[in-house]
Amino acid sequence: MKNYYTITAFTENTPGVLYRIADLFLRRKINIESLTVSEVKNEDQSRFTIVVFAQADMVEKITKQLYRIIEVVKVIDSVDTDLVAREIALLKVSANKMEQRKEIEHLVSITPFTRIIEVKKNFLILEKTGTEKDINDFYDLMKPFGIKEFVQSGRIAVFR
Amino acid sequence: MKKLTGSQAVIESLLHEHVSVIFGYPGGAIMPIYDALYDYVKSKKIRHILVRHEQGAGHAAEGWGRVTGEPGVVFATSGPGATNLVTALADAMMDTVPIVCITGQVHSSVIGTDAFQEADVIGITAPVTKWSYQITQAQEIPFIFKKAFHIARTGRPGPVLIDITKDAQFAPFDFEYPSEIKLKSYNPTTQPHMKQIELAASLINNSKKPLILAGHGIHISHAHTELFDLASKADIPVALTLHGLSSFPNDHRLYAGFLGMHGNYAPNILSNEADVVIAVGMRFDDRVTGRVKDFLPNAKVIHIDIDPAELNKIIHAEVPIVADAKPALQALLQHVKKQTHNQWIEQFKAARDIEKTKIWDVECNPTKGPIKMAEAVSRISEAIKGKALVVADVGQHQMVAARYFKFKLPNSFHSSGGMGTMGYGLPTAMGVQVAKPDQTVISISGDGGFQMNIQELGTIAQEKMPIKIVILNNGFLGMVRQWQQLFFDKRYSMVHMESPDFVAVAKAYGINGMKVEVRKDLDLGIKNMLESKGPYILEISVEQEDNVFPMVASGASVSEIRLE
Repeated sequence: MKNYYTITAFTENTPGVLYRIADLFLRRKINIESLTVSEVKNEDQSRFTIVVFAQADMVEKITKQLYRIIEVVKVIDSVDTDLVAREIALLKVSANKMEQRKEIEHLVSITPFTRIIEVKKNFLILEKTGTEKDINDFYDLMKPFGIKEFVQSGRIAVFR
Repeated sequence: MKKLTGSQAVIESLLHEHVSVIFGYPGGAIMPIYDALYDYVKSKKIRHILVRHEQGAGHAAEGWGRVTGEPGVVFATSGPGATNLVTALADAMMDTVPIVCITGQVHSSVIGTDAFQEADVIGITAPVTKWSYQITQAQEIPFIFKKAFHIARTGRPGPVLIDITKDAQFAPFDFEYPSEIKLKSYNPTTQPHMKQIELAASLINNSKKPLILAGHGIHISHAHTELFDLASKADIPVALTLHGLSSFPNDHRLYAGFLGMHGNYAPNILSNEADVVIAVGMRFDDRVTGRVKDFLPNAKVIHIDIDPAELNKIIHAEVPIVADAKPALQALLQHVKKQTHNQWIEQFKAARDIEKTKIWDVECNPTKGPIKMAEAVSRISEAIKGKALVVADVGQHQMVAARYFKFKLPNSFHSSGGMGTMGYGLPTAMGVQVAKPDQTVISISGDGGFQMNIQELGTIAQEKMPIKIVILNNGFLGMVRQWQQLFFDKRYSMVHMESPDFVAVAKAYGINGMKVEVRKDLDLGIKNMLESKGPYILEISVEQEDNVFPMVASGASVSEIRLE
């Protein structure tokens, strides 16, 4: 059965590692749902957070194959319950009329981890942090107002 | 510390790694390195062999790597020089062969601008190298070379590529070669976990029908004695993969034979009866397993490999052991009990007798009709008493060489297994011969594969490499033809090939040779070849539609092996 897995890989911070990691997923024809790369503070390492939708045994195999990449230091594969994970989304929402503005402001104020980061004449830019589901729910909530632009980050996660 | 240019540092680094031979081909972006090389070759500190095509250099380096265990070294220029190496890199990657390729690259200031002979070599080769790195500053050279050789030769060996920009080759710097290297992210496990060894030993000790499947890892790890001792103590039959051939004495009562699609009847038909399988230094290639879901249905598998990614990749391992073959087998030997499995071993003998009557005797000793491939190979094997290093190309002749040559030297069969690279044989034989000048090196090719790297006859002639070159000419791309006969209703699509007079071609290069067309000339041809001092070509016309049997058809179970 397929499931969402988060693969966290710690690697040396050198060029070309991303290329080799991406190639491994390409060979196995596993689509990367999301990918975040960040620097590990004070370690000269990179942290890759890769979300895939795949079979458990495939994740196990690819995790081992990741170790074949010389620069890879450690790989941990996890299911969602092992992790606290967050994504961030920015939404540009139409708000031409005062009552729309009021309603959006109200919804933002009662939705956790959500805020207005810019106010313009015809639209508001909102920031939403949460799980993928939180973000999807908030997207649906804003949809009736008219979403002019939407962008979502990859996942970042820490282990429980 | 001494002041050197990047180019001199490259050669000095190679000398620090005890490199004595480079296979290469110069060109624009690697000219500074070749300029530095000039002095070192003149003072005989290092030898350079000028190949005729970079692919040839790559395979020659593989030959060197396979017989010495030390990385074979290649020089090539940027762009097409480097892209010509891709096949050899892929081959080395698949077959676990240490090579280090050094490619020139355009000046760092023009990288990414589509400069003349620029190619993204790091990008192109990433999937087929164990590691690669682009040097843009001369100061990087000592550490990167140290790291490259370390990675190529340790753990699961493999190909490494270093791309060096032209400006880094020119730049002077203070050279000092690191004496040690420790990498944070690369520390292969070589010693087995003792708990796993105990588990494995208890499976073996309670087994009625144990079977060892041994592969390339035995040669790489020099574990021949350990394999022999373990098999002898616990009385376990030993079957070998293509790359494992010559790792166990083939006249021993415990020798089960050659595994796989065109392997021997006994190990294929009997592996599914085994209750415990000890797979060591092998990776369950599909040519070995046949239909995977029906492979080893009754066996608990102990899988020993230095590459953790191989464990549970194809076959579930009851006891996975990450380790170098040698210490793992040594540890197992301590824990297994002395046993006898006479009945089980009798089964192998019985199956071997069936193959002998139905195939071996027929193929090797025909009295009429055209010469058969098996006949030619077994005659050569007899003439040299199995004491040669054999390099086979890819195709029917390869399987025939693997089946009928009776190897008497350890690590004496070299061929392209995983990649199945036609054209591999002749250039690989060059590397093997240069690395082992005191041994007889026999290159066996078909008429098709031979012409894929025929240009290396030039290298062989120029360097006077005494390689004994055998061409089994059937006028077909034989393996494809065999499949077309068996699985495509004999529709021989584009497999008929007309070839030049190979002996005449050889003579044009200054290489002696003889063409054998009839049985009565076969022994004379072999004698002439083996007695010749220099390189020699023996072209043997063999039965055109000869087939290799036994055969496990693609997608079939090994127990469905066909004898005809």
